[in-house]
Amino acid sequence: MITGLARIFRLIESGILIALLTGMITVAAYQVVARNFFDTGLVWGDALVRILVLWITLFGAMVASRKDEHIRIDLISNFFRDPLRPMLRNFTSLFTAGVSLMFAWYSGQLVYMDYQDAVVAFGNVPAWICESILPLGGLIISIRYLFHVFKVGNPRYEEGQKW
Amino acid sequence: MVTFGIVIILIAALSGAPIFAVLLASAMLGFWAVDIPLAIVAVEVYRIVDTPLLVVLPLFTYSGYLLAAAKTSERLVDVAQSLFGWLPSGLALVGFVVCAIFTALTGASGVTIVALGALLLPALVRTGYTEKFGLGLVTTSGSLGLLLVPSVPLILYGILVQQMEIGEPFTIVQLFLAGILPMLLMLLLLIAYTLYVHRGGIIPRVEFSSTRMWSAIKSARWELPLPLVILGGIYSGYFAVSEAAAVTAVYVTIVEVLIYKEVPWRRLPNVMIEAMVMVGGILLVLGVALAFANFLVDVEVPQKLFLFAQEHIHSKIEFLLLLNVILLVLGAFLDIFSALVVVVPLILPVAIGYGVHPVHLGIIFLANMQIGYFTPPVGMNLFVASYRFRKPIQELYLASWPFMCVLLVALILITYVPWISLVFL
Repeated sequence: MITGLARIFRLIESGILIALLTGMITVAAYQVVARNFFDTGLVWGDALVRILVLWITLFGAMVASRKDEHIRIDLISNFFRDPLRPMLRNFTSLFTAGVSLMFAWYSGQLVYMDYQDAVVAFGNVPAWICESILPLGGLIISIRYLFHVFKVGNPRYEEGQKW
Repeated sequence: MVTFGIVIILIAALSGAPIFAVLLASAMLGFWAVDIPLAIVAVEVYRIVDTPLLVVLPLFTYSGYLLAAAKTSERLVDVAQSLFGWLPSGLALVGFVVCAIFTALTGASGVTIVALGALLLPALVRTGYTEKFGLGLVTTSGSLGLLLVPSVPLILYGILVQQMEIGEPFTIVQLFLAGILPMLLMLLLLIAYTLYVHRGGIIPRVEFSSTRMWSAIKSARWELPLPLVILGGIYSGYFAVSEAAAVTAVYVTIVEVLIYKEVPWRRLPNVMIEAMVMVGGILLVLGVALAFANFLVDVEVPQKLFLFAQEHIHSKIEFLLLLNVILLVLGAFLDIFSALVVVVPLILPVAIGYGVHPVHLGIIFLANMQIGYFTPPVGMNLFVASYRFRKPIQELYLASWPFMCVLLVALILITYVPWISLVFL
């Protein structure tokens, strides 16, 4: 059940990440052509691209949590042997899950504050929508790391598969 | 409570918790200790949005991964070999140059060793180089090119420093220019070492063939303009860096998917995801590091560090010496991105206090980190190479240490002769 849901979620997540990157490349390239050859450009184009960088960051980080591929000081996998290694991994996963959850909570506060004050990011796009990826990303990362600890929803990847 | 928190965070960091979690926890603990609402951490991470230049990281990384997925490395080696292969120790020379270019394009993420090493190592051994030399060359060259545009760490350093708004202001292009001579110096010393080791014509020379050259150039004709677009465009000021990155991404997609057809449409999503996992990892660390750095500035850690340094370190030379030692040790344990985002905010004010130019500091920093990539015990290149070539890690220590000595000489020159980095400023 969890494994099935996790798989569907992974597909959606990968799809969004690809769409975000494709959108960013398209807008950024369009701006170059429009600016250099036609002296125009989308007014909100640059702002949108910058928001996309944030979203790509969080989505990329969410995907990186699937297989625990985040940057780390990698001493354990090189120097510790079983059974200490999986124990340490569980501890660090639990730590990461907790910290990410706290981040989700406090960035949720930011989103709520900016929602109440109707802060605008660019054009008529409210800031809270742009920021909403922070609590969402934190939450997903947190859940993923809990999954790592309890060994549920774990993808069985085939060679070279990224989805 | 705070002490307890610090202990937990330290243990987590040393047991291999993701750096972003470690920095996030540190920032939150710090702000909590000085009674600042923790939503500030989210505000800081959201500052990613205020940095227009960051857009080049996903764009260049995507382009690099796409190039690595296609057969670009083979064509690159062919072209370089047909051009320089006839020189004494030609193939080794080709190896250094090609690795430097490829690392700059793909970021020193081990891609160079995986993609180029597999090509170069057998070729080197076949041509008469010892396997030990070949392994050393491939392992050390996996991070050669960090100082060359569009290397992600170089760009990241520029972004970090410009965010801090202290010291002499500089443009990102000036930082790019500063990397050129140090990079050439490293190349020259490595080539000189190679020639010295293989003196007396141990390696048979290959004859130059113009037909071979033309066929190599012809098959790579779509990719050869790429460095020109990136380097020429940026250095001449014709393109802004972010524009060059966007043009590169589109161009590379067209060339590899539509013209060479080496990366089919089906595989493109995989390449994108792979690249964005890398980008997400780096930028998340950057975002939380901004929060942590802000906390450190709030409680005046850099100032205290500077005062402490002033009591014990009396000259610029002494400072630089200490800096080299600290960075070499750090480079052996931390990956380059974590080291950048954690250490730069701390040492930049101190370095400026000793009269070190921020651009020079960046070049010193990256040159140190480049060596850290293959410094035992945890230099990443050693593990990538060990995994890729199925060699015990000790063998790679032995193979790469002569190259490390050569690069240390380059590092000393780069550190104590600021002119090499600052001549174009």
